[in-house]
Amino acid sequence: MHVCRGNWSKQEEVLLTGDYARLLPALERMQVDQFVLEYATPRAGDIEVVGRALSDRELGLGVVNPRTDTVEPVAAIVAKAEQALAFYRPDQLFLNTDCGFGCFASRSVNVEKIAFRKLCAIVEAARVLRKRYG
Amino acid sequence: MAEPTSFITTQVGSWPRSQAMLKALRGYQKKTISRKAFNAVAEEEIRCTVVLQELAGLDIVVDGEHRRESFYAFITDKVAGTQLMSLAEMLDFVEDKSEFEEMLRTMDMPASAVKNPTCMGRLSRREPLALEDFHFLRTLTNKPVKITLPGPYLLTRSMWVGALTRTAYRDPREMADDIVRILREELIDLRDAGCDFVQFDEPVLTEVVLSEECGRRTFM
Repeated sequence: MHVCRGNWSKQEEVLLTGDYARLLPALERMQVDQFVLEYATPRAGDIEVVGRALSDRELGLGVVNPRTDTVEPVAAIVAKAEQALAFYRPDQLFLNTDCGFGCFASRSVNVEKIAFRKLCAIVEAARVLRKRYG
Repeated sequence: MAEPTSFITTQVGSWPRSQAMLKALRGYQKKTISRKAFNAVAEEEIRCTVVLQELAGLDIVVDGEHRRESFYAFITDKVAGTQLMSLAEMLDFVEDKSEFEEMLRTMDMPASAVKNPTCMGRLSRREPLALEDFHFLRTLTNKPVKITLPGPYLLTRSMWVGALTRTAYRDPREMADDIVRILREELIDLRDAGCDFVQFDEPVLTEVVLSEECGRRTFM
């Protein structure tokens, strides 16, 4: 199951802000294998919030922001995943975008060229992580 | 090469739309082009998006949701008892119109740009929501694939427009029972067809707990 804080505007200040703490009672009761969660934006709070409560499931860790024009450095993605490794095994940890690149057909939040480069950064980070942690 | 078992990479679902795709979508909605012509454009876009994901080296691929007006409004195409409605059209049924318009402006979402899957009658699947998307995607790649569906809470929130929906359902809870049944049927169909990964999107859950704290809202 995927949760985020809105993905219709490139103006970060109009989207919702806050960590997952108050959602935990609901998330804990859900019978799903994986939570696919926005975490590339600081508006999502600390990984610890989810890591402490939901590490019996898989985490689809959001590592790139679909709304920005700059591509996240591979080292930053690796570092974010390493924070999650304090709570999750490598086989429980998926790496993904924070949300889609075009949730509303007429309001794509990015262009294909940048979206593609962001996917490449995720894949490269996964290579580094597999080498380090198997 | 064997499929990786750690740090599996994927994306959430939707891909930027091309001008050609948007034109076909608008044409299909206005009934100026056929479903067949619309699908031909969408299938070409999906092919390109799959190629790009394979080129990037993603482990689980998606179809980019090219056929969809949005990740939830697309269900009006598939579910009886619904109508695709722009928020501008919905304004007629909102109690405080100026407040609603002001809210959208603040959120940087013009009322004309977003369409809502409004419930106008009893809900049932006219056709599967995403099973055909899965079958087509399966023909394009040997990699595991992910199919996305809107979650039951998001749909209940957005589909219930009191003045229009009360003719079919007593309250949102009664409508939600039908939404859950429809999603469950779809999930079982996708599982039985061999879909590797089904993701339910529930972006509005955060609004329930965060709106008060951060003073921001969503329109869904």
